[in-house]
Amino acid sequence: MVDIGYFSLLIAVLASGYSIIAASVGRSRGRAELVRSAASAAFAVAGLLTIGMAVLLYAFLTRDFQVAYVADYSSRNLPLVYTVSALWGGQEGSLLLWAWLLSVFTALVVIQNRRQNRALMPYVIAVLMAVELFLLLLLTFVTPVFARLDGVPADGRGLNPLLQNPGMIFHPPILFLGYVGFTVPFAFAVSALITGQLGDVWIRSTRRWTIFSWFFLGLGVLLGAQWAYVELGWGGYWAWDPVENASLMPWLTGTAYLHSVMIQERKNMLKVWNMILIMLTFLLVLFGTFITRSGIISSVHSFGQSALGPFFLGFIVVVLAGTLILLLSRLPLLKSTNELDSLLSRESSFLFNNLILVGATFSIFWGTVFPIISEAVRGVKITVGPPFFNKVTVPIFLALLFLTGVCPLIAWRKASGRNLRRNLLLPLIIALLGGAGLFAAGIRHGYSLLSFTLVILVLTTIWVEFFRGVRARHNLMSENYLKALGMLVWRNKRRYGGYIVHVGMVLIFLGITGSSAFKTEKEVNLSRGESTELRDYTITFETLVQYPTANKDVTAATLSVYRGGRRLGSLSPAVEKHKGLEEQTASEVAIRSTLREDLYAILAGYEPDGSEATFKLLINPLVAWIWLGGLVLALGTILVMLPDRRERERLKVKYAREVLSDEVYS
Amino acid sequence: MRAKLLSKRNKFIIGGLLVFAVIGYLVYAGIRDTRMYYMTPSEIIAGEREIYGEGLRLGGIVVDGSIEWDARNLLLAFQVKDEKNSLPVVYQGVVPDAFENGVEIVVEGTYTEDGVFKATTLLPKCPSKYEPSS
Repeated sequence: MVDIGYFSLLIAVLASGYSIIAASVGRSRGRAELVRSAASAAFAVAGLLTIGMAVLLYAFLTRDFQVAYVADYSSRNLPLVYTVSALWGGQEGSLLLWAWLLSVFTALVVIQNRRQNRALMPYVIAVLMAVELFLLLLLTFVTPVFARLDGVPADGRGLNPLLQNPGMIFHPPILFLGYVGFTVPFAFAVSALITGQLGDVWIRSTRRWTIFSWFFLGLGVLLGAQWAYVELGWGGYWAWDPVENASLMPWLTGTAYLHSVMIQERKNMLKVWNMILIMLTFLLVLFGTFITRSGIISSVHSFGQSALGPFFLGFIVVVLAGTLILLLSRLPLLKSTNELDSLLSRESSFLFNNLILVGATFSIFWGTVFPIISEAVRGVKITVGPPFFNKVTVPIFLALLFLTGVCPLIAWRKASGRNLRRNLLLPLIIALLGGAGLFAAGIRHGYSLLSFTLVILVLTTIWVEFFRGVRARHNLMSENYLKALGMLVWRNKRRYGGYIVHVGMVLIFLGITGSSAFKTEKEVNLSRGESTELRDYTITFETLVQYPTANKDVTAATLSVYRGGRRLGSLSPAVEKHKGLEEQTASEVAIRSTLREDLYAILAGYEPDGSEATFKLLINPLVAWIWLGGLVLALGTILVMLPDRRERERLKVKYAREVLSDEVYS
Repeated sequence: MRAKLLSKRNKFIIGGLLVFAVIGYLVYAGIRDTRMYYMTPSEIIAGEREIYGEGLRLGGIVVDGSIEWDARNLLLAFQVKDEKNSLPVVYQGVVPDAFENGVEIVVEGTYTEDGVFKATTLLPKCPSKYEPSS
């Protein structure tokens, strides 16, 4: 059975290699049948990898411990869902998931573009298949996923208990959807450079892929944060760990790219910049993978030592050199046909948003690689931790938040100062009043005060935008307000969907500010029946019970929570000792979450007889808004991705011209 | 006309440079104020530099059987070793899940004159798979 998987990967190596050659030769010699066969080969790769995934899944489900990977990441007592998720629990399996997703995306891209982009597609296929080939070579020769053990062990080693959490089911695949998705716009960018078709066709053709990837990458990061929050048990959700940074960086450059392509679409400018951004994003995806898999920077997430590091580094160098050379050779063709009209315009505010996002990426990158650089240059390893990242990124992100509020108020091309003042005055007054109110309420923390004020500013500007649009429709078309709102959003999905995405981001900012600046925490030892005060909460230690389950021994405490004499409920933080070849403990925190704040309890230690226990108790204000912001973000993203009839009609004219030129080229 | 265009262009360049200068300064000042030396037990014991009271990161492996845990007061004491030497570490607080005998660890804190490393943060490495116990 395993042989089927192994051989399908081997054949996929050949098929993807063939596809690269056939697509490139077919395009350059103008032989359409070769290009068609390259597309078929890409389909074959998707099919073969699907078989590979199925075989690995089957090996997991049948507990085939002769497969080294299955033996390393699962055991007989592992529950079904985690047996399935163990598929991406380790190095090789997650790489296979990656390769499989890429092959499926490639097939989807081919299907999507059957009747369009004939000039671009051959090289798009070639680039996608080249990345695929790289992954497949790793999977077959460097860290073979279907490697077999000499004997069949009686049981597997089991999955790390920290990975036995619902987070493990969703976080990695969703993050991968984002990581892999960015390969598609990257491939179109490279193809646009090779073919010299440098208009905005490649950007428009990949708009949904870009948003899709951006969204899933962001969602993956957010789910990772939530996982850390509920599972790792230190009371936080973000630790500026190198691997966390690695996933945030491509998201930041991706965000910059999402904004700057709008300028190319509208004004045919920033062509070089957009190329650089998408290449940077793709390179940062590779860099993140390199960091995670090479173990070069110590991180809580890193996989065990592996041979993959040098290969990824080599691939990064090749991609970097290749794209740079390509970009430089096409520079003359990338001249903008327009230029910015005014410093006070939507375009320029986008430009500054871009600079800030790239600057943020740069500072995070620098902090992440600084230990390596300092060791290489000066021989001493100097590290920077969360204090560095907080210090540097907080002001940068606050500037970004400010732009989020102001950008939509600035007109395209050239905004008049008078117009801007009129638009900005009301939100500014409301925000300042809000800020003053918070100050009066006793908030003295400077950055938080600024952050909350900016949050109010952005929300008010967005509200004003919605309000104006709705009122105009109400007056002009005499629709009622609700209908007007619905129609407004439905007819302008990109614009208002974008605003909703902004609202989501603002809510996330709100949550981050609240939970990082106003945390209350306490460590306390309690005898059974004893109570402790945490701000206005009274917490009583009721009982400690111990019981075994199929694969672990659980010790759970029960805490009663009171406020103002009223019982709010109970919390049950626990410690789980997982049985397996090696014992490992995992603490299960208990969280009472409300929109106002989370009460977070960790069972840090206990006497075996249950007479007393030590707890760490935290109040994390506003954390729930981070997850809520994620939901709003999702809503907005879905909206901007929906098909838009008016948009299509608007583009028809533009398209007609380019389809013509498409014909000429092919 | 040409002069005017240039000046507009320059405005953008100046604005961009300003943004980068500010970010560059933030990064520079951030590293200057928050950097921590990463040292191994041997490097600390060798005592080449005056490091008492300075924020440090200590990297090494938790010595098997060296862990002492006072669950009531959340006091933890253990030894961190490299190839040659080991150093005693004390810590007060909640112990991360991945902390155990033989695990690779980075400890943040300060080195005190009585030869003990006072940790404020424990960063045990949690490998995605169980390494075979050696």
